[in-house]
Amino acid sequence: MNFQKQLESKQFIVLAEMNTPKGIDVSRFVMDIRQLKDRVDAVVVPDLDNGVMRMNALAGGVLAKRQGLETLIHVYCRDRNRMALQADLLAAHALGLHNLIVAPAQEISQCDHRDAAVVNDLNETGLLETIGTLQNGKDLAGFDLEGRPEFTVGCLMTPWSDKASFEEEIKLTQKKISLGASYVVTPPVFDTGRFAQQLAVLQTLNVPIVATVFLIKSVAVARYIAANEPGAYISEDLIRRIRKAQDREIECLKIAGETVSRLRDMTQAVLIQTMGWEHRLPALLDAAGL
Amino acid sequence: MITAERKPLEEIINCVKPFERILLVGCNECVTVCAAGGRKEVGIVSSALQMAFLKQGKNLQIKEHTLERQCDPEYVEELSTMITGVDAVVSMACGCGVQEVARRFKTVPVFPAVNTKFMGASERQGIWAERCQGCGDCLLGVTGGICPIARCSKQLLNGPCGGSGSGKCEISPDVDCAWHLIWERLKALGLQDRYEQIIPAKDWRTGRGGGPRKIIREDLAE
Ligand code: SF4
Ligand code: SF4
Repeated sequence: MNFQKQLESKQFIVLAEMNTPKGIDVSRFVMDIRQLKDRVDAVVVPDLDNGVMRMNALAGGVLAKRQGLETLIHVYCRDRNRMALQADLLAAHALGLHNLIVAPAQEISQCDHRDAAVVNDLNETGLLETIGTLQNGKDLAGFDLEGRPEFTVGCLMTPWSDKASFEEEIKLTQKKISLGASYVVTPPVFDTGRFAQQLAVLQTLNVPIVATVFLIKSVAVARYIAANEPGAYISEDLIRRIRKAQDREIECLKIAGETVSRLRDMTQAVLIQTMGWEHRLPALLDAAGL
Repeated sequence: MITAERKPLEEIINCVKPFERILLVGCNECVTVCAAGGRKEVGIVSSALQMAFLKQGKNLQIKEHTLERQCDPEYVEELSTMITGVDAVVSMACGCGVQEVARRFKTVPVFPAVNTKFMGASERQGIWAERCQGCGDCLLGVTGGICPIARCSKQLLNGPCGGSGSGKCEISPDVDCAWHLIWERLKALGLQDRYEQIIPAKDWRTGRGGGPRKIIREDLAE
């Protein structure tokens, strides 16, 4: 079922994020995707995620789609001007990639090519408008397109640290929805209790909510997030649970799996991020009872 | 210097429409030299605004003042006595000056009356041209004193492109080809071998690539 239909069906949707390789050897990428067939509803291919130069999402998306999985790709503004972005969107559509997530991009000083020039010709709202324009059969210069692309477009919310930044993020997201985003992907949810409190506000957005589940892979990662992302709410209990576990790896998968199954009753969809542990996704899904 | 051009009067009128009393502030530096926002232009804009509003039966009160340097907090402080009772400030300085006024006076709206254009030089009376884009790692030493980033339409670090003809750039017969100028100058300096060297891909970190830039001089900072 295509992603648009999945959203309409109101069924619970499981998405898994798959990062493309830095290089041309796609064997692991493809293998990791294959083992998800019939286990997730779609895969999400980010584009140069976390500011790492790697194979782009267009190629990754096509490879994923070839394995028979419904595919979503990220699009972002830092490295391409409006001409290149539109050209890539047309290419994506022609190659069968009809699901987009308009994503923010890492600032260039936090990327692995810090000396690169930055484009930022459009920003996320501008890109959403651009997608709308293309869907109306025109390009941004007003020229007619041969054939009209149709995309299912979502947007990403960036992490908030307090009430004020949550409100700002909600306002910005409302703007993005008014410009065509038809679903919203949240920042990683670690504490479903806290998330439940925010859900009432998120639901006022009136679009399907995709909650992100980030696989914590070690005590160090948990501590890092706890210290650097005040809005993440990683508790000492959680860190202790990993630290005390006999098999920490299994424990981490269990924790993420439990989060997924709890979110099942709260949101329409989850997006699982494993960041390098894509091969462990089946085990994580087992832990989630999926 | 930083060059600027006055905004269309219509746009300035629209900004000040809701207000009764404004402070119109010029700057005695770059915008004076490029005849966009110095004392003289402050006077001209002031009269034009007054006339435009009088026609609509409105009496706009305008205080005029031109600072020595509007991007310098020391001079901006002068406005603190003038700003009482003022509903809005209209600044005729470059974007740096406008922001310095806005930073100092948090509760009064500030509007720009000029469009800040570029860092350039006067080619001849009444003509200013772009010369530098502040890349933060100056190449002029290897390009014969002519900047390919600011003056080549394609920002080529190794030019010219195929569009260079009779010393002009392909975008317009009015635009000199920067790489033609570079070559001619290197020749005149007897430095043709410089031209053979390949200039590597630029590290844009020193430019806008790394976010808003700042200079910190430990020896001068208080
Ligand atoms: S090389 Fe850089 S600093 Fe030098 S003139 Fe050109 S833009 Fe300005
Ligand atoms: S003609 Fe000269 S200035 Fe114009 S783009 Fe080509 S090299 Fe640059």
